[in-house]
Amino acid sequence: MVGAFEFAPAIAALPFVSFLVALFVGRFMPKKGALAGITATGGSLLLSLWVYLAVLTSGDPHVEIVHTLIGVTDPFSLELGILIDQLSALMLLIVSLISFLVFVFSLGYMNDEGETGLPRYYAGLSLFSFSMLAFVMASNLFMAFMFFELVGLCSYLLIGFWFRADAPPSAAKKAFLVTRFGDYFFLIGVVGVLGTFGTAAFAGDGSFPVLAEQALAGEAAGINTFGFDPQTWFTILGLLVLGGVMGKSAQFPLHTWLPDAMEGPTPVSALIHAATMVAAGVYLVARMYGFYALSPTALAIIAFVGGFTALFAATMGVVKREIKQVLAYSTISQYGYMMLALGVGGYVAGVFHLTTHAMFKALLFLGAGAVIVAMHHNEDMWKMGGLKERLPVTYYTFLAGSLALAGIIPFAGFWSKDEVLFEALLRGMDNPIFLVAYAMGLIGVFFTGLYTFRMVFLTFHGEPRTTIAEDPHHFGWNMKFPMVVLGVLATVVGLINMTPVAELTGAHIEFLHIWFEHGGETLTVEHYGALLEQWAGYGAVDASTALVLGSGAVSLLLALAGAGAAHVLYNVPDPDEHTDKLGSIKTVLFNNYYQDEYQVWLAEGLTANVARGADTFDQGIIDGAVNGVSSVSLFLGDRARRLQTGVVTNYAALLTLGLVVLLVAVGILGGWFV
Amino acid sequence: MSVATTITTPAAVSNQPLQLGLGGYEAIAPTIILGLTALALFTIDSIAPESRNNTLLSGVTVVGSLIAVVVTGWQLLTGAGSVELFSGQLVVDGMSLFFTFIFTSVTALVALASHEYVGDRAYQAEYYVLVVLAATGMTLIASANSLATAFVSLELTSLPSYALVAYLKDNRGSVEAGLKYFLIGSLSSAVFVYGISLVYAATGSLLFTEVAATLSAGIDGSLTGVLGIGVVMILGGVAFKTASIPFHFWAPEAYEGAPAPISAFLSSASKAAGFVLAFRVFLTAFPIDAIAGVDWVLAFQILALVTMTLGNFAAATQETVKRMLAYSSIGHAGYALIALGALTGAANQPFVLSAGMIHLLVYGFMNTGAFLFVALAEHWGIGRTFEDYNGLASKAPVACAAMSIFLFSLAGLPTGGGFLSKYFLLIGAVEAQTYVLAAGLIINSALSLYFYSRVVKAMWIEEPAGDLSIEGYPTGLYAAIVTAAVVTLLLLPALAIFSDPALTAGSGLF
Repeated sequence: MVGAFEFAPAIAALPFVSFLVALFVGRFMPKKGALAGITATGGSLLLSLWVYLAVLTSGDPHVEIVHTLIGVTDPFSLELGILIDQLSALMLLIVSLISFLVFVFSLGYMNDEGETGLPRYYAGLSLFSFSMLAFVMASNLFMAFMFFELVGLCSYLLIGFWFRADAPPSAAKKAFLVTRFGDYFFLIGVVGVLGTFGTAAFAGDGSFPVLAEQALAGEAAGINTFGFDPQTWFTILGLLVLGGVMGKSAQFPLHTWLPDAMEGPTPVSALIHAATMVAAGVYLVARMYGFYALSPTALAIIAFVGGFTALFAATMGVVKREIKQVLAYSTISQYGYMMLALGVGGYVAGVFHLTTHAMFKALLFLGAGAVIVAMHHNEDMWKMGGLKERLPVTYYTFLAGSLALAGIIPFAGFWSKDEVLFEALLRGMDNPIFLVAYAMGLIGVFFTGLYTFRMVFLTFHGEPRTTIAEDPHHFGWNMKFPMVVLGVLATVVGLINMTPVAELTGAHIEFLHIWFEHGGETLTVEHYGALLEQWAGYGAVDASTALVLGSGAVSLLLALAGAGAAHVLYNVPDPDEHTDKLGSIKTVLFNNYYQDEYQVWLAEGLTANVARGADTFDQGIIDGAVNGVSSVSLFLGDRARRLQTGVVTNYAALLTLGLVVLLVAVGILGGWFV
Repeated sequence: MSVATTITTPAAVSNQPLQLGLGGYEAIAPTIILGLTALALFTIDSIAPESRNNTLLSGVTVVGSLIAVVVTGWQLLTGAGSVELFSGQLVVDGMSLFFTFIFTSVTALVALASHEYVGDRAYQAEYYVLVVLAATGMTLIASANSLATAFVSLELTSLPSYALVAYLKDNRGSVEAGLKYFLIGSLSSAVFVYGISLVYAATGSLLFTEVAATLSAGIDGSLTGVLGIGVVMILGGVAFKTASIPFHFWAPEAYEGAPAPISAFLSSASKAAGFVLAFRVFLTAFPIDAIAGVDWVLAFQILALVTMTLGNFAAATQETVKRMLAYSSIGHAGYALIALGALTGAANQPFVLSAGMIHLLVYGFMNTGAFLFVALAEHWGIGRTFEDYNGLASKAPVACAAMSIFLFSLAGLPTGGGFLSKYFLLIGAVEAQTYVLAAGLIINSALSLYFYSRVVKAMWIEEPAGDLSIEGYPTGLYAAIVTAAVVTLLLLPALAIFSDPALTAGSGLF
């Protein structure tokens, strides 16, 4: 199956072609570029499937340098390459699938609604898919950074798609700036990695995670750690890269851009949240897991931030009025779980949750998009109600997604979230920090159930609360088809890794674990486990069957409790706004714990003043110095010019004088007069 | 080569066994061709003294100097080696041919451009004869291998130059400039020849090689002072020719007062002649390792720094374009002096010297072109100040584009070879650890961009004055300017591609 890898670059190249097509000839095409995008991402999906099967059969990773940007080998070369292993093959499949479905959905959401500027929309969407696919395939950190930035740019373009209104451009700018803040650290990290190891490759014997491990073991020479202890330095590098991850994956405190990003078209939100931008951060941690596994400090920070974000965002989701806002906070919260998993050493659990979340979150966003279309672009859940009978396809698929999100057995989210929490519990039995992170994640499960079903009940159950909700707008197959596909997947995709069932029956059905046990020597889950044990002190913990089942039962019970609370409070014909009972807490929650306020203060109160000071310095001192230099130069020039008096006897005198000075100078230095 | 066959004198000393039976004289063929061109002009003038057949005179000069260019180029390419003539009084080697190429090229350009400039003024034949004779003198300077030959050929170059500067007999500025040039020139020649006598007193020889041999053997300690004064005075004579401070006083006025093609000729070719003499005398006759107690490298460092700084600073405040170019030409002499000032022990000496030679080559074209553009402006009679050039590009875009290439290349931007030649000089200065010179080069180049871009801004951006009009597009001037622009432009890729052979051009002297 060598053939498949030869076509691997086309997976990313196809959407790029459709980007060009949509941009330049989109306006002449019947669906304004949608068909080009559907064809391209469909092609990418098929190729991804082929590549996936190739990895499945061969098992070995495929590494190839496609193009060398700077061919100098000393101190390092910069190149664009492809790395296809178990992780990237899986991710390619997810990204191309979601992209394809989002394109199809957009036919209904954008074309049928008569939006203008569609070629721009499809061009942006195609470029987004291209950037993310290329990011996933990246063989080195430098290339990953390039496409990471391109992903950020595309999100800016698409969030601000409706640029004539006030809010979307502002939200786009915010998304760009906040993620860029994290990316500064990432950039320094990339430079640091290149400067330290002389390579940024992810995989292979000369890759930087392998070199870092050898350096810790004292085997590698020529690693420049800038005077730090190697492990300290690797922690610093890991945390710098983590800055970019926290920006893109919306981890506390850089999560504030994400709720605002809901201003973009809903299919874009689906793409951002499920498969592209937000996923990029977590994917990057998984991609260089061999490096993070060497640093217990970085891992602890990842885990703790993840656990905190999971709980923190879930509480905010409980009070939101707009359906997309609820989903936005849910995304932040779910990515927190993934980070928690990766931080506690649950590599498979993290990737598993990334996979299942991609399915059910894309589904929920598309469902929300369908509801919004039906409601004539009114997003307030308090204006909905009773849509269950009127939009049955949407309701049942949305319900499947919600059950998955809340983590109700046997939907996808249950299996992955259970595994995340189980891994956190295992680690927490060693170390109280992880136990706190686990506890936050566990409490977050309750709130997840609560806000998810509050959303379901407010939207679909009860009596219609407005006239629009009584007679919603209907839509075609192009919106239903993606929802059905994702609904099925959200229900069954968890079955690929049913750890509790495997524990009970002893059957080898943890397919994802098995999948990651194959592949390149330094990219397997066993290798990561060994690294964690040796360098991060993550010893093997003996997990009894009772613990596995108990953990699963506790999280399921909490999810059911949350859903039950939502049922009691909101599944009534005419629900009240129970949030009023919360009093001042409600105000705090509505204002998102004043996160925006302090960040705005940081930007306006602090940064703007520093910038003003710098401007004064620039205007006064730097420009003053420059202006001073030029006036002094002109003054001196004027003097130099006046030497030329026009009187030839002066010239002769000056000439002779000059010669004498030269003679004396050379003579004294040459010692003629001694 | 047919010219050389007429000479039947027996061969002088020749190191080259394979000489095509011409007795070694073919080695100085360019000089002979230029001399014959001068004779041909004399003949034409004596046949028809009153006629003003400018086209014929200009044509003969151009053809003669072009033949010399081709012959020089051919000799350069075939690698003539090193040939000594007249008992070692003259030497023909890579460096002399390299500079002969510069001189003859500039002569051809100037003669071509003079066709319209001279127009129907009186004494046309004299004009061209003086130009060719000065060029002949320059080629001899390039080959001079003894202090006596050097002095004679220097005078052969200078005397026609004085007359040429004063060529516009009815123009007060021209005549005054010629007189001042002559006075300062006489003083400098006196300094030079006195320096020669002191060196002769200390070493007992005039031949460069023998002077060097005597110095290597070691001279009486009491003579070090005599020798040192002689060396510095010879340096003074050279500095006059290169218009280096403090021997530069003639330059701004001579360049401004002279007919613009002559300014081009003096500031490019004549300056280069000064440099080839400096390179030859100081590297062959006074090698650094042989001459103890006379630190001429230091003297050149001082000279380079002062010259480039004062030249550029004075250029920054000028009001007329021609005088600005005159001062900038002094500044460029300072850059080229780096080639000698950076010959410290730490330096890659052949590299530094070659960088200086390359700069002079590029400079020969870009500076000649810039002065010829001024000649064009004078031909049109549009005025001399920066403001007078306002909006000129709307009338004469081709010439203004060429001028922009010259100016940016002079400033060291990559619109021409000037970028790379300055870059090589900078590298050489840094390698030699003469960081002051490197810093001076950078600072002065930055400053020079200011006054060069003033001209470009006037030509392209400013609105033309209401009555700006130009008459005609003189063919010869245009051809010369465009040729110079094309060569300046092509020198950039050419130097980049041939940087290896180009940067060993000066290695013959080490």
